[in-house]
Amino acid sequence: MNLKAVYIHIGWFQMSITNLVVVLSMLLVFGLALVLPFPGNKKGKGQK
Amino acid sequence: MSDRRTELEAAPWGGRTRRYDLIKEGVVAVVIIAILAAVLSTLFGSPDDKQITFKDWATAAPADFYATSVQELAGTSGTAGYGAPYNTASDGVNLGPLHLAKIMGVTHPVDTVNDFVITPLTTVSNAAPVADALKLWQASDAKQQSTWATNYDTALTKANQDASKVPTGDYGPVPELAAGLLTMAQAGSLDGALLSQGNYFQSDNTKQTLFLGDGSYFNDQSTASNLQGDTWGMMNETGRYPGQAWLWLYSFWYQIPPFNNGDSHPFGANADAWIMVIMGALSLGLIIMPLIPGVRSLPYKIKIHRLIWKNYYQEENL
Repeated sequence: MNLKAVYIHIGWFQMSITNLVVVLSMLLVFGLALVLPFPGNKKGKGQK
Repeated sequence: MSDRRTELEAAPWGGRTRRYDLIKEGVVAVVIIAILAAVLSTLFGSPDDKQITFKDWATAAPADFYATSVQELAGTSGTAGYGAPYNTASDGVNLGPLHLAKIMGVTHPVDTVNDFVITPLTTVSNAAPVADALKLWQASDAKQQSTWATNYDTALTKANQDASKVPTGDYGPVPELAAGLLTMAQAGSLDGALLSQGNYFQSDNTKQTLFLGDGSYFNDQSTASNLQGDTWGMMNETGRYPGQAWLWLYSFWYQIPPFNNGDSHPFGANADAWIMVIMGALSLGLIIMPLIPGVRSLPYKIKIHRLIWKNYYQEENL
């Protein structure tokens, strides 16, 4: 990890690979939170 | 608020209900996040780089240190010309007619001549040339001191910071003072001399940081680590460690026109102030979002809540 960082540099956009992995991971977690069902959230558990 | 809306909001909920333990969920969330934070920071937390000292600087780049010392004496360094909160040399950044730092005044006075050079030299016993130079400097008036320092600073700049190529001139004791400070820094005694000008509990590193920042050595280290503002430095870390990615929006503005040109007026040269205003306005917008017509209705159009609670909407055929 102490090695020289590798950067993606396109025009004004520049980001280290490590930061990119962190950002993509955050987006992935957000996406999963939207689509994955809540644990134990099964039909019939709610009360009317 | 209309009477009808008040009536609807006051009516008891007639839909489905379920038991919900908010305390339990809160405790579980805090415990999980605490464990994740401890594990991830242990695995990926960047170690602090070794502190850059004046001894490092004076040893690795003696010509740069020497030239910076002369600039501090001549008043041409970045700190000497910075303005508030350190001195009154310039107006500092502005938002139109508002000079923000100047309004706050000189709250942390820094005199680069005495604080960075003369006072530290008086704390050690110097060799004869330096001791004599110090006596001559202290016995001269400010105008004479300024003339000597300016002459030598100009000559040294023309000689491309190579003191051996500076022609003879009316430099007074300036070369000996700069050489004495270089020797002091190389011996490792300047760091302590600058710090000891603070309070009893010495936690104020302002002077060291400013002096280091005036030279090229410190700046070059930042550039090598991609920590400069124009390379998204705000969200980077040393090495391959992950940085502060959540600061991307603050850093973003520094990459685009008109803020990415520090010489352009009125925005580039005052980028810090303008970006502070932009981020303040955006933060305020986030806080008062429920009150902004159109924006507050976006959830009805985006409908992400229907994706999150899709089971409920399916079961209720909504």
